[in-house]
Amino acid sequence: MARYLLRVNGERHEVDVEADTPLLWVLRDELGLTGVKYGCGVGLCGACTSHVDGQAARPCVRTAADSARARITTIEGLSRDGDHPVQRAWRELDVAQCGYCQPGQMMAAAALLARDPDPDDEAISEALRDNVCRCGTYPRIRAAVRRAARIMREER
Amino acid sequence: MISRRTLLRGAGAGALMVAVPIPALAVEGLVPNVFVRLDDAGRITATVPKPDSGQGVRTVVALMVAEELAVEVGDVTLEQAPGDSAKYGSQSVSNSTSVRQLSTPIRTAAATARCLLVTAAAQRWRVPVSECTAKDGAVRHPRRGRLPYRALVRAAAALDPATVPVTLIPQDQWRLLGKTRAGRVDARTISTGRVKYGIDSRPAGGLVAVVARPPWIGAVPDTIDDSATRAIPGVVDVITLAAPADGQGGVAVLARSTYQALKARDTLKITWRGGTPAADSRAWLADLHAALPAQSPITGLQRTFEMPLLAHAPMEPMNATAHVRPDGATIWVPTQDPGRIQTLVAQQLGLPATAVRVEAAASGGAFGRRIETDQVQEAVACSRRVGVPVQVLWTRADDMRHDSYRPMSVHRLTAEIGQDGLPVRRAHEVVTWPLTVLPIFSNPALIKASGDHFPYAVPGEVTVTVRPAPLRTGFWRSVYSGQFAYAEENFLSEIGRRAGLDQVALRRTLLPATSRLRNVLDTVADRAGWSRPPAPGTARGVACLEEYGSAIAVIAVADPAARRVLRVHAAVDVGVALHPSGVRAQVEGCVSDALSTVLGAQITVRDGHVAESSFGDFTWARIDQSPDVDVTIVPSDAPLGGLGELAYPPAAAAISAALAGDTPVTGMPIGTDVG
Repeated sequence: MARYLLRVNGERHEVDVEADTPLLWVLRDELGLTGVKYGCGVGLCGACTSHVDGQAARPCVRTAADSARARITTIEGLSRDGDHPVQRAWRELDVAQCGYCQPGQMMAAAALLARDPDPDDEAISEALRDNVCRCGTYPRIRAAVRRAARIMREER
Repeated sequence: MISRRTLLRGAGAGALMVAVPIPALAVEGLVPNVFVRLDDAGRITATVPKPDSGQGVRTVVALMVAEELAVEVGDVTLEQAPGDSAKYGSQSVSNSTSVRQLSTPIRTAAATARCLLVTAAAQRWRVPVSECTAKDGAVRHPRRGRLPYRALVRAAAALDPATVPVTLIPQDQWRLLGKTRAGRVDARTISTGRVKYGIDSRPAGGLVAVVARPPWIGAVPDTIDDSATRAIPGVVDVITLAAPADGQGGVAVLARSTYQALKARDTLKITWRGGTPAADSRAWLADLHAALPAQSPITGLQRTFEMPLLAHAPMEPMNATAHVRPDGATIWVPTQDPGRIQTLVAQQLGLPATAVRVEAAASGGAFGRRIETDQVQEAVACSRRVGVPVQVLWTRADDMRHDSYRPMSVHRLTAEIGQDGLPVRRAHEVVTWPLTVLPIFSNPALIKASGDHFPYAVPGEVTVTVRPAPLRTGFWRSVYSGQFAYAEENFLSEIGRRAGLDQVALRRTLLPATSRLRNVLDTVADRAGWSRPPAPGTARGVACLEEYGSAIAVIAVADPAARRVLRVHAAVDVGVALHPSGVRAQVEGCVSDALSTVLGAQITVRDGHVAESSFGDFTWARIDQSPDVDVTIVPSDAPLGGLGELAYPPAAAAISAALAGDTPVTGMPIGTDVG
């Protein structure tokens, strides 16, 4: 066991875990951030997608030790009041079915929009193609990313 | 009119609780089902008897209650009912029945509350009931003004409901039901990551169990050396699990954190015996072929279709949390049937059902898998041993390799073709496996009833041969319809192509003029611009299905050379679409399942075990493969129909026909060996 200082959603947390513990389980088990979803544990489904230093990343395939100096944002920290343009667009277009993959989808979308304010379908596909939705909400996700981009442009 | 004893007065003085038994499901002795409750402050709470696994039943319940009580959806607080078969009857989410079973009792319960509130106001004002209306959480009268519900709850609760006629809000006056603007009630909690799914429900201080599962089908532990495992920090216990009736056994490692349990499992030294270490799904497919009758009942054009094993693979892997105490148990589980779990756990523990509390957590998808209870029995066995809450967590590979799979099947279709190229007689010979999770599904007649919904005017016969299932099989969205209709529609497409017939015209000819199917087919043909030739390089496929009390027609447009589906159009007649966005979502979901299974997702067995282990090899569709989906809800005066599974079979058939172009489809996935 070892102690790591993590910066998550703007707060500092000290955790005491084995060095090879995946960040996913640190966030879920130690910090109670259950919006970070376990889907595959091997970086294939995107359900746990969060931001590490502003980039979309997979907490299931990075360790606590790797993450010690990074700035980590989970769905719980994407916005103060749940009103990030991506979250609003997701609600406006009624994207979710079961909702389980959607935190990861939204975090991937938010990271995309932070670097590309007006992504075309190809850019959306590229950024989100490794996020599996088993319910089949892809057409609405695509529309919601475009909608979120518009909200961001209008409010800039 | 409801009887007095269906109206319960709540624990809180004056609270108004309205219950109506679910007609088809009422339990003997009439213990009322409480669906709607108003407290003294006028707050409205609705109980959702069935779990939501993404199909949207919570939203529809909220819409129904808000509609009938003349309030906004946000004014209704939802409570998810715990498992309680005695109180709620069947709580099963299956066969696309949730909304159909709940609409009358829930709407009636809320309408009863409204009528009682209006009557109470009329009595207070001493005016005729007919002059009063309910609106925005209050009863209004043109001269007397308005009384909010909270001021009427006590008086309404004191009324004898047998004296109060109950009327539902007529469809032409709906503000919420049937309107496109209504979104999912859980949208905010979903979009902020705050939904508590089963996997998020482990109480503080609870342990995590991860199970070493059989390395080949049917294996059981022979020797277990857990000395290294028990020495690992965080490991609390190692427990051998007997195989439950509908599952497999294994060796559970209980630890304080998830990662400790995952890591510790790998240190177990287990030898296994029994089972079928050489099992191979290619041999199973050959066995199904060999079991086809020597001769078909008729001769003519013939085509044989092969259908693969499919896994459910919900995004949230199987899990269950149990806290077993000497006098009772609490279960937290994402499930399609909390009532059944209450019954089974009570049996497992030798406790009365009332001592077992089953919390129906939100499900990260289900697709038929969560009708089963094996994961719950594992959690109960673990917690019973250690006396603290234990969450059994299946890894993705556990989930994919130890599923209850959709059965493989082989379909031999034969058609006598008339002079005009149309089929005049048909035969459909099916060889498949039973559903091992429900033994009555080994009956060929039941399999035929599940699968055979051939809607076209072509006489013929369907025969089903059932071979023993070599692994665990279960309910997968659309059940046997997914195999039967896929074969039938693709065969019909081949017949049409050989005769040079238009695929829509061919189907129109074979459907009754005034049928719901012909209506949706005409609608979708219109939406898809069928009368115009397809764009160069594209091909189209058509398929229809009438099942679950609903009708659908699908047209898919594909670029076969690129192996890409461009658009899918669907027209559905669901009778009454209570939540149009939810109706579209279910069709979109079925299209995604269809795309995935036609393009390549299948389960194969090699060397005794399922070869696929995650989304890297069970190749579910991704956003870059996903077509635009255009869903038209056709106006209808038919009764409320089911929808959750309706679109999968015809979407798969239409997509495969479009992708195959001029090549006959011979199974699923296309262009890939099956098995």
